[in-house]
Amino acid sequence: MGPLSEFKKYILEILTGSKSLVIGMGITFKRLFMPIVTVQYPRRKLTMTPNFRGHIEAIYFDDTKSHHCVACGLCVRTCPSHVIKVQGEKEKAGERKYGQKYYIDFTKCSLCGLCVDVCPEKTLTFSHEYELAYLSRWDGVIDIMRRLEAVTK
Amino acid sequence: MNITQLPFIKEIYGFLGHDLVAAVIGILIILVFVPLNSAFLVWVERKVAGHIQLRPGPMEVGPHGILQTLIDAVKLMSKEMITPKLADKFLFWLAPIVIIIPAIVCFVVIPFSPLMQVREMNVGILLIFSFSSLTVLSILMAGWASNNKYALIGAVRAVAQNVAYEIPLLLSTMSIIIMTNSFKMSEITAAQSPVWFIVYQPVAAIIFFISTTAETNRAPFDLVEAESELVSGFHTEYTGMRFALFFLAEYTNMFIAASMGAVLFFGGWHGPFFPGLIWFVVKVYALIFVIIWVRWTFPRLRFDQLMNFAWKVMIPVALLNLMITAIVLKAL
Repeated sequence: MGPLSEFKKYILEILTGSKSLVIGMGITFKRLFMPIVTVQYPRRKLTMTPNFRGHIEAIYFDDTKSHHCVACGLCVRTCPSHVIKVQGEKEKAGERKYGQKYYIDFTKCSLCGLCVDVCPEKTLTFSHEYELAYLSRWDGVIDIMRRLEAVTK
Repeated sequence: MNITQLPFIKEIYGFLGHDLVAAVIGILIILVFVPLNSAFLVWVERKVAGHIQLRPGPMEVGPHGILQTLIDAVKLMSKEMITPKLADKFLFWLAPIVIIIPAIVCFVVIPFSPLMQVREMNVGILLIFSFSSLTVLSILMAGWASNNKYALIGAVRAVAQNVAYEIPLLLSTMSIIIMTNSFKMSEITAAQSPVWFIVYQPVAAIIFFISTTAETNRAPFDLVEAESELVSGFHTEYTGMRFALFFLAEYTNMFIAASMGAVLFFGGWHGPFFPGLIWFVVKVYALIFVIIWVRWTFPRLRFDQLMNFAWKVMIPVALLNLMITAIVLKAL
């Protein structure tokens, strides 16, 4: 390469560099007027996407006006962290059991979702709850039946 | 109405003399304007940064967060001013004072409007250049006195960078000076009444803009602070109001750089319909907006790139521009 082509390269570098700088400025200028995506949190809240995995909760069914839990205990046994506790009772002989108490200790839950997969009545799902800050360890114990009542009322 | 005709002002004039009253009033205005301007510019910077990154920026204190920087200033004032044990106590104390004084002094010659200029000087431009080069001294002082490796590296970079970029800055200003034959800010402004100098000197304007960005240590030339490598550069060890003075000086220097740009290339106070003050302030803040915009667009340069750019591109182009200007002026 001779000195002339070196010089040409030098000039070209300055010109192409300046052009790319101008393009970059254009991009940021356009973004200056684009709508803001940040949400001012405590005042405005986002709705979670349908596949958001919060802690588990019971699904409300219209036919029983309640959940479908039969207190079979499959979720209790499959849970790798042993955080689920279910109690049910049989009202009449020969009838199905009916789940009455369902607690999870969410502080130890790993959100694996095995309980949701294993449920034979398909009455468990993930909630869209994300404000999960507690003042004590006991606040992390979630009463799912009471939650369902609160939702249905 | 002339303000000097008011009986109260007249009495003070009689008591102190014309020059002293002008000096006192001017200094008062400057001392009020400098912190308020910096507070406003910090807010603007954070807003622009936020909107470029699709965030709202400060929103909580006051409408759209406009009082945020005032609250920050209150916080900084209430903070302890820590001096590191192994620091040079005197220089560490002196550096923030030395950095703020030239920033304030430069305001003396800035012509906000045909009447609003604290002091007209034959050497206006030279005064600004000579005082703003003191900033380097104080950055070096701060970096050296901190006895901290990051601060010292930042300070050393500042010296190399400022020395390198002062040359194209002065050369690009020279091409304006030889067109107007004056260092007076008001005469340079007056010379642009039909056409702004950016039309005659676009290359000089671009070189001037890049060099002032480097001189005021703004991104993409903020190697002096370089958060990602040097913690925060020369003011790493500074806390409280001392740190705030460095911040104040940075934004005041930005204002001075932008007002220099407005005077040299954008016709200062000239403009239709509105009074000169409004035109001047609008031009200055528009230029400051461009500086902020540049900061949030480009990544920081590497040190060798910075130096190569100054010595291999800026200085040759500025020299060539000056030469062409001189030849054209001689031929005309």
